Amino acid sequence: MKQLNEITTPFSEVAATATLPGAGLNWLTQLRQQAKAQFDRQGLPAKKVEDWKYTSLWALSQQTFSHTASETSLDTAQVNQVAALENAYRLVIIDGQFNAALSQLDGLEDGLTIASIAESFAQVESVIGQQVEIDKPGLTALNTMLMQDGVYVHVAAGQKIAKPIEVLVISTAENADLASHLRHVIQIDAGAQATVVEHYVSLAETKGFSNVVSEVQLAENATLNHFKLQHESMGQFHIATLAAKQAAGSVWNTNNISLGSKLARNDIHTQLLGEGAHVTMDGLYLVEADQHVDNHTRIDHAVANTTSDEVYKGVLDGNSHAVFNGKVIVHKDAQKTDSSQSNKNLLLSRSCEVDSKPELEIYADDVKCAHGSTVGQIDEQHLFFLRARGLDEVAARSLLTYAFAVDVLQRIKDEPIRQALSNVIEKRLPKGA
Amino acid sequence: MLEIKNLHASVDGKEILRGINLTVNPGEVHAIMGPNGAGKSTLSNVLAGRDGYEVTQGEVIYKGENLLELEPEERAQRGVFLAFQYPVEIPGVSNVYLLKAALNAVRKYQGQDEVDAIDFLTLVRDKMKLVKMDEQFLHRNVNEGFSGGEKKRNEILQMAVLEPALAILDETDSGLDIDALRIVSEGVNALRAADRSIVMITHYQRLLDHIVPDFVHVLSQGQIVKSGDKELAKELEKSGYSWIHDAPEGQTA
Repeated sequence: MKQLNEITTPFSEVAATATLPGAGLNWLTQLRQQAKAQFDRQGLPAKKVEDWKYTSLWALSQQTFSHTASETSLDTAQVNQVAALENAYRLVIIDGQFNAALSQLDGLEDGLTIASIAESFAQVESVIGQQVEIDKPGLTALNTMLMQDGVYVHVAAGQKIAKPIEVLVISTAENADLASHLRHVIQIDAGAQATVVEHYVSLAETKGFSNVVSEVQLAENATLNHFKLQHESMGQFHIATLAAKQAAGSVWNTNNISLGSKLARNDIHTQLLGEGAHVTMDGLYLVEADQHVDNHTRIDHAVANTTSDEVYKGVLDGNSHAVFNGKVIVHKDAQKTDSSQSNKNLLLSRSCEVDSKPELEIYADDVKCAHGSTVGQIDEQHLFFLRARGLDEVAARSLLTYAFAVDVLQRIKDEPIRQALSNVIEKRLPKGA
Repeated sequence: MLEIKNLHASVDGKEILRGINLTVNPGEVHAIMGPNGAGKSTLSNVLAGRDGYEVTQGEVIYKGENLLELEPEERAQRGVFLAFQYPVEIPGVSNVYLLKAALNAVRKYQGQDEVDAIDFLTLVRDKMKLVKMDEQFLHRNVNEGFSGGEKKRNEILQMAVLEPALAILDETDSGLDIDALRIVSEGVNALRAADRSIVMITHYQRLLDHIVPDFVHVLSQGQIVKSGDKELAKELEKSGYSWIHDAPEGQTA
């Protein structure tokens, strides 16, 4: 039997022959070589690896992806149409390449840098590769070996950026089987604040592969509101890592929305390294037909007095399959940790499947940790209440499904973003009434 | 308005209602009282169309139609309103959205256009005054985090907006302190009208001090065993329900 490391797309050969950005930087060349050696050793993760037990990359391994993209023919109007936010800075990546002409990066506020990572490697030596480990099973090594573009966001100390930043990643029909390896670096200095929306969208029935690693570094008292909206085509593979290190008093508010693709896998990880650091790690997945979504989250409470709050909700229909694995690790000295986690799933069909696994590892004795996981159907009491108020059964079910999902978005404090994301959810799950 | 004839209903094969007869004319307020287990909630649930109740005999005619053949939403659209004993919390659905969806469902059945957004807000604000609810409740999720009293006021607000022809108030007084009881009662009294009938289901007489009924019926072991005017409720208050239990089974007043 073939193994997952006998892969059809010769990623290592691509690495050997492709012209990748930052070739003049010794440290980067070395990093890519280390990553290549690691990838050559481990290949793609197989299902026997615990973290990949429920997600098979077999289909991905058997597909041939291209690594070169033709120029796009998209215009501003088309980009505006798919953007999530109207009033935002916007960095646009089309078929794996930063597109300056279609981006909106004029008039950046003081202390804010938004640039293509391909043009910024020289500035990120101290950050890149620091939040992730290339030897961990997954695709970080592959990403590091081939990373070609992405966004670099930097906010200087004390600057509170008012306008949100949308990183709009578009896959088009012109490069339907493209593999893109994107690396985003977001660095928020002490006391600074920003809002970033990573947005992945397909404009056609693409069959490509989005391989993304986002690294986040939050200095003392920095705040990052970090949203991810992923709704790619039913033929796309999306595999992403979001990893942060948080200094004292920093806040990372994440909300990860997967409307899916053929297969979506997110590894989201933060290390709370300074007292008073807080993470909100929320997510919502809506899958149908044969979609597969897998969210693996991990929160390390490394020191005392840190807090985490995590709510993941999922709505499954058709033959879809969702996986939630939420690790919370309270390290030995992390007294007074306050952590809460919940995963709730709503099943709309008999043939969907969810594997939900909260994992708490607690090595300190004075902590408050709560977790819960539910899998269920629409509440009959709720249904009767709405029908008794005149809504027909179909409308009532639609409304309750929408409500179940949108509930997690109500935790978003930023009104325009909450509204924009709710609108996207409503397109998928009409309120029906 | 409503005619219940020899209504028998079972839950899980156990007969709870054993031949209810009741006629409610337009504009009348009827109180149905009875001890725990008499069948009070079963009666309200059967009238509203909740699943799990099997009608084995008898009929319910509402405005000339067989009510029992209608889906819960069809009953609501035709003007039957149930104020729930335990209103549910619905995260993700705002009160204002619910009120508008419910009102539009009723209007649609009546062949009217959907309500205009501004007219609707004017209407709702006006109705909120009836139950002394602050406007912030409009934008909160349905009953989420509401106190017991706020939930019951919210039920009456829904009734006020929907303007039903027949309102069934299921233990609307349960869990209310005296102030909340007064506010809820004032709301209901303001909604009394010549073309609107109200059936109040309650264990205690105290609600009837605030909402004075035209008729009082005593329900026991699935039957109405005694009917009278508001004085009957006072009698019950004095002597309790114990005398009913002593009455021979099947005896009707």
